Formats: sequence, C-alpha cells, structure tokens
Amino acid sequence: MVRGLTIVGVAVAIFIAGCFAENSWRLVRTSIPEMGRKEIEPTLGQGVLLGILGGLRTVIADGTWLRSYVAWEKRDRAACEGLMRTACALDPRARYFWENTGYVVGYDMAHWEIRRRGGYAKVSPEIQDDLFKSYARKGLAVFEDGSKHTGGNPGILISAGQMAEIKLKDNLLAASYYKRATESANVPWFAYFLCARSLWEGGQRKEAYAWYRNQWLEKLRGVGDSSPDDLEHLRYFEAELNLPVLQRIPRQTWEK
Amino acid sequence: MLNLMKQSLRRTTWIARITFLEAIRQRFFAFLILLSAALVVSSVSFRFLDFGHGELKFVADFGFGGIFFFGSILTLAMTAQLFFAEIENRTAMTLLAKPVSRWEFLVGKFIGVWAVLGIFIFTLTLILGLIMWGRHQELVALAEAAGRVPPDLSVSGVAAYALLQWLRLGVIAAMVLAVSSVARSFLFAIVVGAMAVLAGQLQWIAEEALLKEKQITTVYQSFLWLITRIVPNLQQFNIGDALALDVASVSNGAVWAASLSGCIYIIVLLILAGLGFRRREI
Amino acid sequence: MSDEIAISVQGLTKDFRVGLVGHKLRAVDNLSLEIPRGQVYGLLGPNGCGKSTTLKIILGLVPATAGKVSILGFGSATSEARRRAGFLPEAPYFHKFLTGRELVSYYARLSGVAEVDLKSAVEVALDATAMTEAGNRTIGTYSKGMLQRIGLAQAIVHQPELVILDEPTAGVDPVGAAAIGKMILAMRAQGKTVVLCSHLLGQVEQVCDRVAIMDKGRLVLEGRVDDILARRDRQVITASDLTDKAWAAAEAALLAHGAKDVSLTHPRRSLEELFRELVKGSRDA
Repeated sequence: MVRGLTIVGVAVAIFIAGCFAENSWRLVRTSIPEMGRKEIEPTLGQGVLLGILGGLRTVIADGTWLRSYVAWEKRDRAACEGLMRTACALDPRARYFWENTGYVVGYDMAHWEIRRRGGYAKVSPEIQDDLFKSYARKGLAVFEDGSKHTGGNPGILISAGQMAEIKLKDNLLAASYYKRATESANVPWFAYFLCARSLWEGGQRKEAYAWYRNQWLEKLRGVGDSSPDDLEHLRYFEAELNLPVLQRIPRQTWEK
Repeated sequence: MLNLMKQSLRRTTWIARITFLEAIRQRFFAFLILLSAALVVSSVSFRFLDFGHGELKFVADFGFGGIFFFGSILTLAMTAQLFFAEIENRTAMTLLAKPVSRWEFLVGKFIGVWAVLGIFIFTLTLILGLIMWGRHQELVALAEAAGRVPPDLSVSGVAAYALLQWLRLGVIAAMVLAVSSVARSFLFAIVVGAMAVLAGQLQWIAEEALLKEKQITTVYQSFLWLITRIVPNLQQFNIGDALALDVASVSNGAVWAASLSGCIYIIVLLILAGLGFRRREI
Repeated sequence: MSDEIAISVQGLTKDFRVGLVGHKLRAVDNLSLEIPRGQVYGLLGPNGCGKSTTLKIILGLVPATAGKVSILGFGSATSEARRRAGFLPEAPYFHKFLTGRELVSYYARLSGVAEVDLKSAVEVALDATAMTEAGNRTIGTYSKGMLQRIGLAQAIVHQPELVILDEPTAGVDPVGAAAIGKMILAMRAQGKTVVLCSHLLGQVEQVCDRVAIMDKGRLVLEGRVDDILARRDRQVITASDLTDKAWAAAEAALLAHGAKDVSLTHPRRSLEELFRELVKGSRDA
C-alpha cells in the first residue's frame, strides 16, 4: 500500500516538474536560436554534438565553417554543403553563414559538377545550363531558409535576387526577392532600384515605374538627400515610357 | 518538532560543509576551474576566428560554452565520486550509524556539491563578465568614434546566466545522485548519469515536436508527451548569450520560469534519489 | 523485553541477491541472540560467516530479510537506537584533511551533542582514546593504530550506552591492539555494553565476558568465555624448581590416587605476551 502510494506520488511529482518545464520552455525558446535538425544530421558525430547540446554553438559553428573551406578547396560537394549547412543550423541567426552557403551552393557547385563529369568541353551546353539552374535553385532555397532564420535579412534577399537574375535569368523572380528586401528594416538604398530594374527587364515596364514612383514618393523622397539617383532612374523610365508631362513626377526644385 | 527540524538541519549542514571542504580540495576541481578560466580568458584572443558575429557574441559563446561543458563534466564526476567514495571508504557507515537519516545524508551531499558548483560558476562568470565588460567599453568607444551603433551588454543578464547555469548544474547533480543511489558501481553511475544529461540536453527536440508538429499520430504524441514529462529539459537554462547581449529577445518571466522549473526538478530528483537510497545496503 | 538486554536479535535472516539472475545467497540464517548490558560481547567466526552483516543489520545499515532486531528496546533502524549506539567499522576511512579534533567534533555534532557540551565531549573522547596530543594533526598523518583510536573516539564521543566495534585491531600492532583492549575494558568499567567482532582470539579471550561463534550464517556456540573455555575434565598443577626426584614422587602419588594421563610440561607464554614484553622493554630502555 505504502509502496504503491510512493510510486503514485513520485509519478505525480515528475509530471508536475514536466509541466513546469514545458511552461518555462515556451517562454525561453524565443531566445534560443532554433536549430535545423535535418541540416545537422549528416555531420553528427563530427564534434557537432556539443553544439546541439547547448554549449559553444558559435565557436563550433565557426570551426565547422573553417572545415568547410577544406572541402571547398577539394571541391567535395557533399562534404562542403554538409558542413556549411551544419554551421547554418548551429548558429542560424548568423547572416554570414546563410549568405555564403547560398553563394557556394548556387554559384560554385554547378562548376564542380561539370568538372566531375569531364569538364566544360565534354558536358553539353544544355546540360551545363540545367546544372547551373538546378544548383541556383538549391542556392535560393538556402537563401530562403536564411531569410526565415534571420528575420528577413535584406542582404540575404538581395543575394537571392542576384542569383535569380544571374543564374536563372528570371527577372521577375529576382524582382520578388528585391521587393521583399525593400519591405525589411535597414534596407540598403539600392534595393528599390534593383527591384524596379528587374521588373522593367522582366517586361513589366509600367508596373516597374508605378511601383518605383510610389516608393520614391512615399519612402525615398523623405530620406536624407531625397534620393536623387532614384529620381534620375525614374526620369529615365518616364522617358522610355513616353509619359505625358502631367503624368510624370513634378519637377523638384533641387533637380538638375 | 521545531527542535527536531533544527537538529536535522544542523546535521545536514555539517554533512554539506564537510562535503564542500572535501570537494574543494580535490585536484580535479582545481584542474577544471583553471582549465575553464584559461578558456574564458583566451576567448578574447580567439575572436579573430569568428565569422560574421558580433565580437562580444563570440566571446560570450566561447566563455559560456566552456562553463557549460566543463561544468557538466565537473558535476557528473564530482557528484558520483563524492557519493561513491563515502560508501566505498565506509565513511557512510560511520555517518549513517549515527542518528543521521539517509535523507539528511543525501541532501547534505547535494548541498555540499552544489555549493562547490556555485563557486565554479560564479568565479568563472565573474571572470567572463569582467572580460566582456572591458571589451564592451572599448567597442563602445570605437563605435562612437565611427558613428556606429554600439553593441549591447547587460551585466544583470550575465548574472542571470550564472544563476541559470548554477540551477542547471544543480539539476545534473540531483540526476547523478538519483542514479548513484541505486547504482552498484562508480562507472555505472557515471555512464548512466552522462546519458541522462545527454537526454536532458536533447529533450527540447521532443518538446518542440510536441509543441509544433500538428500532424502526428496519437501514439507518437503520447510518446513525446511521456519523454517530455520524464526527462528534464536542460536546454531551457542555455540562454546566456541572449541574456547578456540581446536581452530584448528574452521573454518576460523566462528567467523566473526557468529558475522555478530548475528548483522543482532538483526537489523531485532528490526525492527520487532519497527513495532509491532508502533501502540501499551500505 | 528485560532492561538487562542491550541487543536482542530474534530469528534474523539475511539473503543477498547475487549475479545477473539474482541467485539467493544466505548470509545470516535464523540467528537469535541476546546481548546483556554492561558486558563485552565477542562475535566470532571465520571470514564470510555473517558477523559483519549481522552488525550492519543491528545498526540499521542493511535491511533484514526476516527477523527482529532491537537496541536497548528501540527498533534498530530508529534514530533513538542509533543515538544510544556508537560504531567503529572495519578499516574505516576518515576525511584526511580534517584534524582528529575536527573529525571527532563533526561526529559529535552528527550524534546530537549540544554545542555547549561539544568541546568537553570531544576532549573526553580524545582522552579516553589517548589521542589528545595528536588531536591537532591532520588525519592524513596518522598511523593505522591512531586511525583506529580516532575511529573509536568518534564512536564514543556522544557517550553511547552501546559500542559496536568491527575488527578494531585489524592491522594494528600488538601494542596498539593491547591499548585498544584496555580501552574496551575501560568502557565496560563505565557500564557500557561493547560488542566486539575480531579475529584476534587471544584478545577476545582477554576482554570478552561472553562470546558467540558463527559459521555459515548460523550460531554454533554462545556463552560465557570462562564456561566455554574451561575443561572440567583436566587440571593443571604448576610449580617452580621441581627436581626429577620430586616429579617422580608426585607422579606416583597422582597415579596412586587414580589420576590418568599425568604428564610434565612447561607452561608457555603466548607469542603476543612475549612480543608485548619485549617491545615494552625496548621502548622503556
């Protein structure tokens, strides 16, 4: 009887402790960078475990990043990507890891794959193009993850836009990344132009002008020196679109 | 009744005191505290290895990581060693042949060990805090000169970190005592204790799956629920860098909730240890 | 229970589970004993006969499988029982960094000695064990004999009515062993009950009033030492300066009166006695 009561008592105590811990975890988790378990799995057992356990995460992420350089020099795609993704997963709030992982995956790895298949002379241009696009898409996926973990860092989104533009030749996709960058805090001044230019190049000329004009009037005009470079770009768009004078942005007093 | 409680407290305090004195004289303790201090101090010299973080973030992570890692090892080894040494050397026999209850013995051991861990944590955090504060002053001056936003550093956050880590090590010590109370050998206690700590550090994975994943079967959900109830969550105490460098990201009441959770775990685990130890043959 | 009984053991049985399968090993088998108050009681037997297990059960350190044990009328696991008992285990280890005085103070506090009485209680215990002078040295510097004596001091610091000693002279030289023997007799003189577990049968014979001999967990013999050792069918005549002629006459007279197995031998000292005499002589010189 006493033994049974003891067991029940202990079980209740453990249950209560678990409930308190869950409540505490709900409050605490917002301040702990969320680790991507799937990214870590391939490199588990390579000194990463300690980072997962909670200590030296930044240091281990840095060490893992350094090790990825060795794989990069050997053009070992699997190892390089695994280590870089591990660094990202261990310290997901660091923009540096996401941005550079995206670059390496999106820009370098297609070249490594072509070399692995015998070089540029042996691989047909169509397959080369397919490889560039396929790795660029992977790179974009890395940037997307990075954007999610860094609270929509505009730098990562601009890098994604560039990759879409350069490797996928998809101006509208690039524009969508630039546009998201302009919606973030601390957006660099040139992001607006990049977005408008991509829309323009993507064939959406009127939309590009309308959006850019709207941004200039509502955001850029009131900042610093009123963004004269952007106004200059807008004047170029107006001229290309042959807009009547009354539909154009009124001439500014300071305008050359 | 009050007199009995007073006497019990007196005995417990004396066992704690002797345990503390014994532990603090161990070479292992001195070695680990020196090694950790060296790691904490050297964090500033290694900051050039950092990629893309704030400099203080790297220093904090290096220091907090060292305290976390060596603190865990120290707790595991010292708790098991002090417990088993008493039993194997027959000191426990002379103690328990006195009017000392097994609860008093166990709680005394725990308090003694925890006090030593307090010395470890607070000494190292003080060293780390001073290093971070010194470097922070330099970085603020540099940032002001360059017209940049200076980095944040919360001294009270560093102190809160020390408290949380102390609680974490207390939970580990209580876990090891619970294992040791039924273990037959030091090695078994160390291995199972280490596995329990590992499980505790990874418990958050189950906790997260339970909180986040929507489409899971009832069996899996029950399994996760059981894991989160049985295994203590040790990850909840690892918010040192957020407390020190990004205090805005820490939810209101998070430190209190984690502290309360730590205290409850300690009490529950000590009760478990006591029940295991109650009928142990000395 | 009679007030004259210090320890009562009734039908005590202890089984240990050994190995992975948990085979049963019976260490103590249906043991019943009554140890009277104010006497020195020897518990003897070969290694593994269950002496130490019995002592541990008496002190509540090991639970019994069956049977009842009480100390001075209290259940053996109660703190009342342990408040009235002192214990020195075999080959004890004490914290080496403490001085002898600190160690005895520590155990005094655990035994419930009030702070006001602490100092005098410690000094009395140290004095009784001849450790007053060495009391300020750390335990790490103690010899084996001193360790046993400081162990004895911690056992008696709270003036227990019952003192249980498990191999108190193990590893101690004969002079030290004799000193411990004297301390045991002094405790008896103070009215304490002493339970002694020892392999030194000579010493047991000298200090114990009663003995119990155990083998394979069972009690094989129990009684007063004099009663157990005395051979009622044999007599010893001792004499000095006995000539051959005188011996022949004595032998003839004894045989004439019906005595049998008459022989002439020289009485022997025990080696322990000789050793103590020699060592004492050299120390005195």
